Order: sequence, then structure tokens, then C-alpha cells
Amino acid sequence: MRRTKPLAALAVASLLALAACGSGDGPGEGTEGSFGETDAGKDKDPNAEGPAPEVEGAESGGTITVFLPGDYGPDDLDPTNGWSVTGNSIQQALTSRSLTQYRVDSDGNATLVPDLAVDLGQPNDDYTQWTFQLRDNASWEDGSPITAEEVAFGIARSMDSTAFPGGPGTEYSTQFFAGADEFEGPYTDKDTDWTEWEGVEFDNDANTVTINMSKSFPDMDYWGAFMAIGPAPLGKASNPPAYGQNIMSNGPYKVESFKAQDELVLVKNDQWDPESDPARHQYADKFIFKFNADPDQTDQIMLSDNTESQTAISNDLSASSYQKALDTLGDRLVQQSAQCTGFLYPDYEKTDLAFRKAIAYGYPYEDVWAATGQVPGVTRVQANSIMPPGMAGKPDYFVDGEAFSYDPEKAKELLAESEVEPLYSAIYYEPDPLAVAGAKVAQKGLEEAGFTVKYTPVQESPYSTWTNPDDKLNKSLTVRGVNWCSDWPSGSTFIPSLFRGGATYNTGGFAEESIDEMIAEVPNLPIEEQADAWGEIDEKIMTEFFPAIPVNYYNNLFTFGSKIGNPSGDEALGAPNYKNVFVMQ
Amino acid sequence: MSAETAGPETLGHLSDEPKGEDPGTKGRTITGKSPLRIAMGRLLRDKIALVCMAVVLFFVFIAVFAGPLQKLFGVNTDTVLPAQFLELGGVPRAEYGPPYGPLTMEHPFGIAPRTATDNLAFWLEGAQNSLQIAAIATILAMLLGVTLGLLGGFLGGAVDRFLTFVTDFFLTLPFILAALTIAPIINERFRDSPNYATVQVVALIGVLAGFGWMSVARLIRGEVLSLREREFVQAARVMGMPTGRLLIKELLPNLVAPIVVASSLMLPAFVSAEAGLAFLGIGVTTRPSWGQTLNQGISFFEPYPLYLYQPLIGIVLLVLALNLLGDALRDALDPKTRR
Repeated sequence: MRRTKPLAALAVASLLALAACGSGDGPGEGTEGSFGETDAGKDKDPNAEGPAPEVEGAESGGTITVFLPGDYGPDDLDPTNGWSVTGNSIQQALTSRSLTQYRVDSDGNATLVPDLAVDLGQPNDDYTQWTFQLRDNASWEDGSPITAEEVAFGIARSMDSTAFPGGPGTEYSTQFFAGADEFEGPYTDKDTDWTEWEGVEFDNDANTVTINMSKSFPDMDYWGAFMAIGPAPLGKASNPPAYGQNIMSNGPYKVESFKAQDELVLVKNDQWDPESDPARHQYADKFIFKFNADPDQTDQIMLSDNTESQTAISNDLSASSYQKALDTLGDRLVQQSAQCTGFLYPDYEKTDLAFRKAIAYGYPYEDVWAATGQVPGVTRVQANSIMPPGMAGKPDYFVDGEAFSYDPEKAKELLAESEVEPLYSAIYYEPDPLAVAGAKVAQKGLEEAGFTVKYTPVQESPYSTWTNPDDKLNKSLTVRGVNWCSDWPSGSTFIPSLFRGGATYNTGGFAEESIDEMIAEVPNLPIEEQADAWGEIDEKIMTEFFPAIPVNYYNNLFTFGSKIGNPSGDEALGAPNYKNVFVMQ
Repeated sequence: MSAETAGPETLGHLSDEPKGEDPGTKGRTITGKSPLRIAMGRLLRDKIALVCMAVVLFFVFIAVFAGPLQKLFGVNTDTVLPAQFLELGGVPRAEYGPPYGPLTMEHPFGIAPRTATDNLAFWLEGAQNSLQIAAIATILAMLLGVTLGLLGGFLGGAVDRFLTFVTDFFLTLPFILAALTIAPIINERFRDSPNYATVQVVALIGVLAGFGWMSVARLIRGEVLSLREREFVQAARVMGMPTGRLLIKELLPNLVAPIVVASSLMLPAFVSAEAGLAFLGIGVTTRPSWGQTLNQGISFFEPYPLYLYQPLIGIVLLVLALNLLGDALRDALDPKTRR
């Protein structure tokens, strides 16, 4: 998923916000906080059964307040429309169940386990048909059981790209499910009844749902962990957009009140049966999510250890408070890798290999990072491959034998070899002072490395320029960017979206037939070879063509109040581990 | 800027004759003194006014000589590659000055968190930009306001009704909203231009002046309405003096006091408006500005309070001094409000 946190600010801030922790003094330098590598959700356990294992020392009761500084949160809670780190991490953990889910242990390691299904699905030989046997003891917040038909309807909803333009179904359901060209979703397609659509079949008596694919889709079990692949009430009850403001919960918590961009209050759902759920808990009585909290204020509250902050969680920490948090919070300051990579993406047609490598040496990583308010080696770390740490098959290689670092002399040599004009033309997001500072520093560094730099300010998210092929400004750029996060730990959610010719977020316009062929080939390989195949493509793209400069991986900092039990992160979603936290009485 | 910078009722009337005899002249030869000289004399006896004038002159000096002063201290506003100067959290290392170390000669005000640029240079240029923008905007707003006020008040009739309508119309437009709307429009139109920085400053001055002239226009119109029925104006009319000449030669000199007072109160309002807009990120982004520094300083208030205090002291001192000086000017020019 694209990082949509504070969309505009992050899009640019992070693009320009690059990491220190360069080559030599890599991770784990002293106690200054190091980049925690994880193996995000690579493990699967199809036999996990409810109830979820108790968290050590867990107690019931209490209210947990979650501050989300500078984070607007989702505009609606419709599971089909949910495709943001913030919204999905909250809803998938607490309110909205799907076919599968992640179980996160106290170290933050995630395991894919069943949710509404009793296992991780039964695929046929070529992964073109998946059958999920549903459990019988799952129910809605009003006590009615969740039927196979409701799950099938939820899946059919994910086909509706018009009603849910921002939903993940636009990327996966419409790509992989059968009959996508004949069925546009239950709200847009008035001619076809959704039950006639060939993509999904259900049997209420046997309690099974069968999904037919148009092409091989071995990652269906991971896709099933999205709340979009979960049940929806039949008929008008779930019509968008009204349903998004008033959803029917089926997880351990239900919505008491929701004000978009302001507050979400969740209370216990007494109809949820712990026996039916292998991963979720129901410890706290209440969750209050405060969206768009003031960052500095939140830091002060969290560091003060007053009554309010003792039972609070914050999903972000400013760099200026990092040192103090490190000194005072101890293990209540949690660093969580977010499985995202930030790229500089030079225009593939306008530039050559030497030019792109010159950028890799001429871009002042640590300095831009410092200027944009990141913590070197902690919240941003220099990247060396396309796929971030924790993804299955992430290769360990360095394009030039060692990590790139700021080296203006080397950049100049490379520029001399390059046959194109040394023009670095890019954009920055002007309303964010940090992005402006980052652009200034990047310009300084690149100019010292021999580039002619032209930075143009924009007032909207840079993505609206980068992804618009008709934009005059966009056409004049020689360097664009993209920050990408994986939807699940497989290269299939990363590499095709960025490096397939013509993909929306392939902002540099990279197109090589050999790579496109390799990408198309992977789903046909035996499943155990696919991870390595993605790693191979990753390395091939970078060492042969070097179309984009992987600049940084992302880490998030979470802070937990002194009375919050089990302070930990959820590596599958890069969020606090809402499923397992509790209030110590 | 829809708020009035000074109400008409508080402003002086130079044309009013001083009432009664000046006690100092008793028993001596009576010498003529122009009203402006009398006012100047009063001003020089006002201690607060003198202190404020010194402060304002100090800032004007800084603004005018910001460049040479930077050279003198050996500092500049150039962007640096910051990582080498900073601790992990973005606060400067001890050897480069506060908050962990003592101030150094290299950077008399310390260096900025996150970007590691020199604080003194930014402070000096911030003062320069602030005063420059506020001064130009004041002059423009005055020109516009005085012209429209003179015309409306003197010509009356349809012209007056139209100009009053325009004035009232502009007063209804919310200033902040307009500034927020204009910033992206300017960006969209001029972002490719090499003069983007200049365009941005011009646009800001335009917004400040464009939403600041109304109070002046109203004030001047009111004054003109009362002046135009006076004998000397009637006499000039009878003699057939052309309107333009009448406005400039007869009316304008009688309006010097309210104009001086209104501009001396408008200037600090513009200084704080400029800082406020920069703080919100919609003012000047391409040049140093106190408002910007304030914005960046907020998140470092706890580890590095000095960084926030520098622009804060600048703004508070300058605005306070200008306001008090404006008040003193008004008192000096208006015999009726003597304390």
C-alpha cells in the first residue's frame, strides 16, 4: 500500500527525508537505537485456533487512549474502502474481521493465522481457485451469525472500483478475480446481480466460500487478511457511503462514535466469542483514538507520565523528543519497522545509468534526513535493495559492492561519463516547512556533486504531479520519487507496482521487456520458489538497470504509557499492537 | 487586516488651533512656531517615545545593513549539509553552541536545529525582510487609502457612494482566507519562473496592502468631509483652483497628522501579520522570516528554548516599540489628548 499517513506531508517529507546510518557504522551502533530487522509475517500457521493465547500478566478493564499525531486517519470505516496503515491497523485488530489475520507475539513477530476461515484456504493446483471453510461461531455485533453469503457479498463489494476508488480491491480483486471485465461491483453494475458473478461462490449450508481467479494467485491467503475480504451485511444496510459512517462490527470491539479526522471511540462487543478468534483479545473496556493530534503536545503528554498519559499510546514521536524519550521511557519506546522503501525515481528515458548512479552518490542522505526532522539510523535507514527488510526473499546485495553514501567526487566522475545533461529537476511540497528545508539541503548537496538543480515548489501532494502523465510540470522533471509499503511480505505487492512498464506508481517510467516478462512469470512458479524469484528480479533490476535509487527504509516510533501492558508493535502493519495491549490496574 | 489599525476618533487634528496661551511664552517676545515643531517638542519630552524610537532605529539599522553586518560577524544564510553538526534528535552538538555548549564566536547566536544554519544571519535577514515587507506594504496601503479617501470625501455624490461601497466590500473579505487562497494560485502560476522568490514577496505585499487600506480610506474621507466645508477650501474653490491642486495643496497638508499616526500604527500590524503568515507557511517561504523560525522553534522549545526566543524577542520588541511610538506620535500631534 502506498504510504497514506499524513498524505501530503508524508509524501514529500519522507521522499526528501532520507536516512543516515550510512555504510560503515550500520545498524546496532551502541545504544543509540538501531534498526530492528524483522521477518514481517513470513510465517503461517493454518492450524491456529481460538481463543488466542493469553498475553502474560494481562488484565481486563480500563480505557486506552491512542494519539495519532499529524495523522488524519480514515475518512470512513467501510472495510472495503480501507487501504491505509492507520485505518487498517485499527479496524483489522479491533472491529472488522476477514478470512485470515496476523497473530503478533510480544516480540512483534507476525504469523498469518485463520480468522473467519478455519484454515488459510484450500487452493487448487494452479492457485486459480481458493475455497475457504468458515467457522460457525463467529457473529455480528447484533448477535446474528456471519453467513457465507455475507462474506461472499463483502468480496463482491471489493470489485466496485467506482464506489470504493481508494480501496485495495482496485489493485487486487479486479486484477485477480475471475469475471472482472463483466462485473463492476454491486453498486455500479446495476445489470448483473452480484450472485451471478462468477468470481465468488458460496454455500450457506456447508458454510464455504469459493473464490475463482482469472490468473494464478498464490497470495490469496495474505489478501484475505485485508478487512476488505470480510463480510458485509446484505442489501441496503451496507450501502456506501452511509455504511462507512456506521459500520456493523464483528470483532472484539464495536464503534461507539466516529468523527472523521477527529475521534473514534470503540467499546467492547459482547457478541464476540473469544473461542472463534485465534488472535484477538478483549482486555481494555474502551479504546479512544484521537486523530490529527498535535505532535509536540502529544510528545509532552507522553513524556510527562501524568494520569492522562499513563494509559495512552502514541503512534509517532518527533525527532526533537527522541533523546528524552530514549532516556526516560525505556522499553516503552518501541521502534517498529514499517516495511516501506523510499525511492528517488529518475526519468528512465531522459537519463542514463551513469546519471542515475551519480545521483546515488550525490544525494546527501543523512543531511536531508536531519533537515526533515528524522532520527538518523532510527526512523530512516539507508536502503540497499528494492524490497525492505522483513520481506520474503529480500536479497542482500550492494549495487556497487558497498552501500551508497554521499560522495560528491565520485558523483562528478560519474556525471562526466554520463551522456545526458546534468540537470536534476524535481519538485517539493511547499506548505511543509520540513520539506522546504529538505529540498534546500538536497539542492546544496547535489550542486556540490556537479548537478544543475531545479527544484519546483508544489502545493498539492507530489503524487498528483508524478502520476499525471499530461502535467506540463511533470513532463519537465528528470527525477521523481515514490515511497512504497508492502501489503503483505511478498515481492508481488512491491515490485510489479513500481517496476512493471506502465504501472501507476512507476513514476520514472521504467520499462524493460525482460523485466516485465520475469514479473509475469513469477506467479506460475512453484510457491516455494516465488520468494527467491522476487529477490532475483530485485537484484537484476538494480544491478543491470538501476532505474531508481532506493533511499531509505522506514521505522516508526511508538510510545506507550506506564500503565499500558505489553508495549509492542505489529510488524505486519507497522502499527502499535492493538490486539495485545491492556491496562495494568 | 480588516481590523482598523486606528480609529478616527483617536486621531489628531493638526488644523485645530492650540487652545489658550502657552505658559512658557509669558513675558517674552512671542515667536511663531509651526504646529509640527510644537508636536516635535512634545515628542522629545516623552521618555517612552525616545526609548521606542531608539529601538525602532536599531531595527531599521539592522534591516538596512543586514548584509554588511553578516560580513562583520562572518556569518551567512547559506544552506549547509547539517548532519555533521547535529545530535541524533536534531539539536546542535555542544561544540557548535547552545543548548549543550556555550555560545561561540563563529555563531554568535548559535546554529539552528535540524538545518544547522546560522541563527544570527537568519535573524538579521528576518528583520530585514520583515521591515522591508511591512514598510512597502504600509506605503502602498497609505497611497491607496489616502487617494480613495480624498476623492470620495471631496467629490461626494456617486463617486463617494461607489468608493464607500468598494471600501465596505473589501472590509467584508476575510484577510486570512484571502491569503490562504492566493498562495497556491501564485505558486501554480509562477512556480516555474526563476523569479519565484520575488513574485512571492510582491504577492505578499499586495495582499497586506490590498487588505490594509480600508481603515485609512475611511479615516481620510471623514476628515475631508469636515475640511471641505471650511472657509479656506471654499475660498480656493471660488478662486477656481482645479480639483487636483485643491486636494494636494489645500487638503493634504491638513491631513499629515492622521496619516502619520495611521501609518505608524499600521507598520507594526503588518510586521506581525507577515510573521503570522510565515508561521502558517503561507507567507514568504523562499527567504528567511521570523515567522518561519518561530514555527520551526516550537518543536524544539524544550531542548533548545533559545532558538524560539530569538525571533520572539525580535517580533515583540519591534511591534511593541512601533506601537508605543505610534501612540506617542498621536499624543504629540493632538493637543486635545495631552496627558
